[in-house]
Parts: sequence; structure tokens; C-alpha cells
Amino acid sequence: MKRSVPFEIFRYAAILAAMAVTLVPILWMVSMAFKPIGEWSATGADLTWWPKHPTLSNFRFVFGESDNDLIVALDHTALKPILSSLLSAVFGTVIAMSAGTAAAYGLSRFGSGQNLPLALIQLRLFPPMAVMIPVMIMWAFLNLNDTWLGLALIYGIVTLPFAFWLMKTFFDDMPREIEEAALVEGCSRLRVFTRITLPMMRAPLASAALFVFILNWSDYLIALLLTTREWVTIPVYMASLSSSMTGQLYGAKAALGLIAAVPPVIMGIAIQRHLVRGLTFGALKQ
Amino acid sequence: MSAVTATISEDKMDARTKPATPDEGARLGFRLTLPAQILVLFISAFPLLMQLYISVTDWSPLSGVGWWNAWEMWNSFANYTDLAADTRFWSALQRTAIVMLVCVPAEFLLGLALATLFADDFPGKRIFYSILLMPMMVVPAVAGYMFFMLFQSGGPVNDILSRILGTPVTIAWLSDPNLALIAVMIADIWQWTPLMFLILLAGLVGVPEDQMKAATLLGANAWQRFVTIVLPKMKTIIIIALAIRVIENFKIFDTLYIMTGGGPGVATETISVYIYKVTTQDLIWGYVAAIALAILIVLSIVAVYAMKRMAKAREVPA
Repeated sequence: MKRSVPFEIFRYAAILAAMAVTLVPILWMVSMAFKPIGEWSATGADLTWWPKHPTLSNFRFVFGESDNDLIVALDHTALKPILSSLLSAVFGTVIAMSAGTAAAYGLSRFGSGQNLPLALIQLRLFPPMAVMIPVMIMWAFLNLNDTWLGLALIYGIVTLPFAFWLMKTFFDDMPREIEEAALVEGCSRLRVFTRITLPMMRAPLASAALFVFILNWSDYLIALLLTTREWVTIPVYMASLSSSMTGQLYGAKAALGLIAAVPPVIMGIAIQRHLVRGLTFGALKQ
Repeated sequence: MSAVTATISEDKMDARTKPATPDEGARLGFRLTLPAQILVLFISAFPLLMQLYISVTDWSPLSGVGWWNAWEMWNSFANYTDLAADTRFWSALQRTAIVMLVCVPAEFLLGLALATLFADDFPGKRIFYSILLMPMMVVPAVAGYMFFMLFQSGGPVNDILSRILGTPVTIAWLSDPNLALIAVMIADIWQWTPLMFLILLAGLVGVPEDQMKAATLLGANAWQRFVTIVLPKMKTIIIIALAIRVIENFKIFDTLYIMTGGGPGVATETISVYIYKVTTQDLIWGYVAAIALAILIVLSIVAVYAMKRMAKAREVPA
């Protein structure tokens, strides 16, 4: 439909306003990450929107290099929290994707596990806070508290609904002629699944895995409850980067925030096509 | 000729696939769904029973007895009667409702407005679209930290206000009870409007263009087209989008807790923050179990009701 010129002007003006609101918080953190300590907390007229003396010292500081202007050193660098976030999110994704993909195929092709779609949506419905007491007790019993494996296990369960529903809609959409042809050739059903269906679904599998990874990587609450010292994740560690002596370590936190924020944003843009499907449990496709 | 071969090959297919192994599929299906079933059971049945058991006791991790011996501290449903009289709980619930009633409609209206702007093609659409989606991909805890910085009294929000108003503005956003709640809601709206935009745009694109053209020819203006054609077509999608945000917004924790920690005082204490504090600071887990169970029961009733309504809505074609 042809639109009028005033409408086009209005459209661009509105979109640019939305872009400004979207980008200011992000750019402020980016700018803060490169500011030296002297520019961190300037007030009023001294507030600097862009670093006057850009520096990488914030990044060096979170990785353990002492900062002469700060007179504090960290008793534990950001390296281990980054490792913890990575290990727990990756293995959580592996758990959710393996159990979810298998179950989705079982339901989509053989009608098994009819209770799963609803049970998994219910799982998603409840606030994690409301089931954390038993989880904390069970994890203590299994010696999983404050370990990346313990986090990975609960992440795998929490994101299972997304893995299951995404893969279910992908399997439902997939044409069955090739699978049927392979069955006629004498392949067993398991072989059809592992040798024909899964390789064909490589792209959807990758998208679903990235989607689940983003969710796992974004967690804060569960890690806050289940990790205390050894295996704290990036967001938990970030919150600890302030003390009565130093106050808020703005620049260091911003540098760490940037490190945490970049991977999911890139991945999210990469799987943009599937975001709607993932977020609506496959109810909607783009 | 072609019709004949078609019937033959169909017969062949049936003969080979169906009767050859009648329950091989069912057995494989069972085995494939087993891990997911175990995980669901592991996180629902056993924890629920444990929660139910602990919720009628005074048990706490500091009480010196294992949770299985919690019956020694049986308190005859005192947790539940305490809950009914717990004003901090009820005001946290009320606050959660206020946040939801402000944030979800705001996100919906802003998302819908943006989606209508993106309904047809224009230069730069793809890049604008990608950038506008960014907030929902930012780790919520990091978004919380971003807004924590923005709302400092010497921070950028006050700087922008100063420039607009021409006088120095030094509002202490996060230490004023009312403003803190507003700041927290702004952060939520910033982060989740893109989700509404994304879902509603997907629905808007699905509205058939010939109907819109026909309505235009019949003299309907943009608003009439929107109300009579677009909204009814998008009904299901709108319900889904709202349901997702209501569910997620009820759990609000990460951004809020990083920005204010529930404070000042209890001014931004939502239900998740309240449970978190009782869990980690007061450590009365018997009571937490009772709160959690009460919430689970209420949510289950709401969920069953909502799903029945949605199933009904699906039967009647929109």
C-alpha cells in the first residue's frame, strides 16, 4: 500500500525516538566500560557522555590486574565466574536439548508422552522462587550446591519446555516422505531418527540450542541461590563488585556487563527468524 | 496409467510401514520421551511432597535436624494462618499486581504501535528491526545494572532532564519509595516492549492484504480498518502475547533486585523478592514452603481456568 509523505516522516521520527530510548542505556554501559575511574561518578555538569580518556583498565582490572587509582585488588578475578557461566549454560543446554529433542520426536511421530506439552508449560508458569526450597535441599543432599554441574542440571530442567516445544514444532513441520522412504528401504525407526531426521534438522537444532543457551546464560536468581563462592556466575559475581571501601566499581561492573551482554545479543540476532516461535512455545511462526 | 501406479505404490507403502512392526514405534516413542518424563517428575512430584511436608513445620536449615525429621517441629498449620495475617506478604502481592497492571499494558500498547509502523516495507526496516529487538536479549541482571547507573542522582537520566528543563535536576530516583517503583517499571518496559513488538508484528504480517484493500475501497479509514479487520484477526496472538508477559512479569526479580534490592525499605518488594529475602535472610524455610505452595495452588487454578478459556476461544474461529 502506498503511504503518504507525512506518514513516512512520522514513521521515521517515531522509529528514531524508539531507537534512542533503546540505545541510550546500552551505550551508557559501553561508554562506562571504557572510562577511567576519574570519569565514573562525575555529577551534574561534569557528567561525561563519552569517555574523554578511553582506557581498557576496567577490563584488565576484572581479570586481576591491580589498578593504581583504585588501591584495591580483587580476591577472585572474573575468569572463574565466566567459566562457571559458560559451563553451566552449555551443559544446561545439552541436557535440555537432548531430553527435549528426543521427547519432541517421540510425541510428534509416535504420539508418546501426551502429558508432556501441558506439564512443561506448567513448569514454565511457576516462578522459580516457589520451587527453590526443595531444590536447594535436594541439591545439598546430592552435593550439587555451589557446583557448575548442579547449575547445569537445574538449567536443563528449567529450559526443557522451550527445547521441547521448539523441536516439536520443527518436527511437526518437517515433511515425512523421506523418513517413510527410509522405512520402506528397511531402516529401523531409531536409525531413521538418528541417521536421517537429526542430520536433516541440523539448522533448526542449532537455532533451538542457541535460544536455550541464551535463556540459561541470562539466569540470575537460580545462580544466586545455588552458588555461594566457588562457582558463582557472572551476574552474581558482578553484584559482588562493590564494597564499603570502594563503593560501586562502576567501570569494572560495566566492563563485565558488556562481556556478559555481547554473546546473547549476537546469538539472538543470528536466530531472529525463530525468536517468535521459541518465545510463544511454537504457537506462532514467523 | 498414472492413477494406477499411484494406487499401487500407496498399497506398497501401507504394507511395508504399518503392519511390519506394530509396536516398534510405540516402544521407541516411550524410550525417547522417558528422559523428559523423568526430569519433569524429578522437579515436580518429589519437591512438591517435600514442600508440603516442610510447610507444616517450623523447620529451617539452621534447626540442626535433617529435613526428613521436620515432623519434630510440627506446628499445626501455623504457617498458613501466619500467611493470612502477613501484611508484608499481602503488600508484596499487591505491589506485584501494580507492576503488572502498569508494565504489561504499557508494553502491549508501545509494542503494538511499533508493530503497526513496521507492517509494510520501507528503507532501513531490517536494521531498525534488529536494533529495536536488542533489549530483550540483554541479560536481565545486566539490564538491571544499566538502569541502576542511569537512575543515579548524578546519572544520565537526571542529566537529560536538566538539559530539557534548563535547571540542575538531582532526583534520587532509587532512594525515593515512589520513584524507585517507577524506575523499576521503566526498566521492565524498556526490556520487554521488544518482545510484544516481535510477537505482535508476526501477527500483523499475517493479516490478509486483500481484505484491507477491499475495506479501503469501501471507504474505511485506517482506524476503522484496524478495529474491524486487524484486531479480530489478531485476537489469539494478542492473548498469547499478553499471557506470556503476565506470567513472566509476575516472576519479576532480576532487574528489580539489582536496581533496588527491594528497597528503599520494602518499597519495591515484589513477591519473588519477598520470598527470596525470607529464604536467605530470615531462613525460615517452613514458612517459605507454605508461601510457595499457596502461590503454586493459586497459579494452578488460574492456569487451568485460562487454558479452558483459550481452548474455548480456539473452538470458535475468530
